[in-house]
Amino acid sequence: MMRKLYLAILSAAAMLSLPFNASAVVDSGEPVRLVNAPEQDDVFQIEEILQSIPTPLEISVLIQEVGTVYRRSDLNNPDMVNRYSRTIKKALNLGVYGTDLGYANIYGKNQDALSYLNSVQKLADDLGVGAFFDYQTIKKLAESKGNLDELITQTTLNFEKINTHLRERKREEISVLTLTGGWIEAIYLTAMINERENNDLLKKKIGDQRLVLDRLLLVLDIYNDKDGFADLIKDLTSLQEVYAQIEVIETEGEPEMREEDGVLTVVQGKKTEVKVTDDDIRKITVLLRSLRNKIIR
Amino acid sequence: MKNIIGLFVIGVMAFFFAPQQVNAQCSTELYVTKSMKALSKGYQFSKSYRIDGRNGTRKTIKYTCVFAKDTSYEIAMRGQDGDAEGMIATLYDAKRNKQITSFIGNKFHNSWRFKCTATGIYYLHFTFKDSKSYCGAAVLGFKR
Repeated sequence: MMRKLYLAILSAAAMLSLPFNASAVVDSGEPVRLVNAPEQDDVFQIEEILQSIPTPLEISVLIQEVGTVYRRSDLNNPDMVNRYSRTIKKALNLGVYGTDLGYANIYGKNQDALSYLNSVQKLADDLGVGAFFDYQTIKKLAESKGNLDELITQTTLNFEKINTHLRERKREEISVLTLTGGWIEAIYLTAMINERENNDLLKKKIGDQRLVLDRLLLVLDIYNDKDGFADLIKDLTSLQEVYAQIEVIETEGEPEMREEDGVLTVVQGKKTEVKVTDDDIRKITVLLRSLRNKIIR
Repeated sequence: MKNIIGLFVIGVMAFFFAPQQVNAQCSTELYVTKSMKALSKGYQFSKSYRIDGRNGTRKTIKYTCVFAKDTSYEIAMRGQDGDAEGMIATLYDAKRNKQITSFIGNKFHNSWRFKCTATGIYYLHFTFKDSKSYCGAAVLGFKR
């Protein structure tokens, strides 16, 4: 019933050309709730949302760029991998370890990267997608220590292949869990580091996640009746309620076109400003810590 | 008798030629690799996009993106016609306002950059103009 309702919501959103339209989701303060929608290709709508979720690497790169020190203790323990027996745990932690792998890669911590690579391979095999993760190539790149960019690129590409395969096989519920796990780990790491370093850039990044969270929840809600989803949705909805209180100011402006290194470049005119307070960050950090601990334990 | 031979010849031709037309495959993987190599230095690979126009039957291939403010995104494209010939990548914001396109001044650009200052939903559309193959791929890179 819930699934039908959400598919209808997705379909209606597409029909109205508001499929997760920023103004519909961000401005109103409430996620889109539409009913009595016409029939559409449900799977396409789910695919469209999942495909749009940004790679956690965007957040990990920011963490590194603000000059924070790498701490392995911030990441999940790679040896915990054998504890995850339920499918939901395997899929969420595949995402968690994927983020940790990318994070270790960015810092050039190749030995840690190899540990996370083994954990990723184990969970990918358990979930029946191991064939889409080129373990040997990534292992060689990690061991060689010579080409960090290629290592990061191949890791990202392999996770994309896993998710594409899952969606092609109509296993979107696993794909959304993997993406959710990866996103939670990335924001959790940002929150933990911010707690130590009190960095404005990290705070802005934490506060600027509402759109991704809304989109993940839109798909997770479809699988509400599957094992373990209800608890995850409940926790993420609590997080969503905090995000709903964060003000986002939009300013219109004229774009500027120029050539940069011979590449056609547009600097956007419109600007958004997230007015996130220390209290918002504190609430988000508390919720994230609890949620992430539930996922990895 | 001539009619029978004629039908036989048509049948044989149909057998050999028609399947090729129907099954003309677009191997997007090859162009993903080429596009990745074309990303500018400093841009980190983020996503790949398959651009398979199915011999011209698909006019627009649509993707949705969540872009973050203070991030520079680069699209690099490569196709079967050579470079990005015949393919156009256009970015729209959530209100469907065009932000940037790779076809300007009657020229197909292989890449473009979008310096995002507003976190939001964006629509990435791939279209074709005078394409022979309707086949290629693009990758998205990002830089803070």
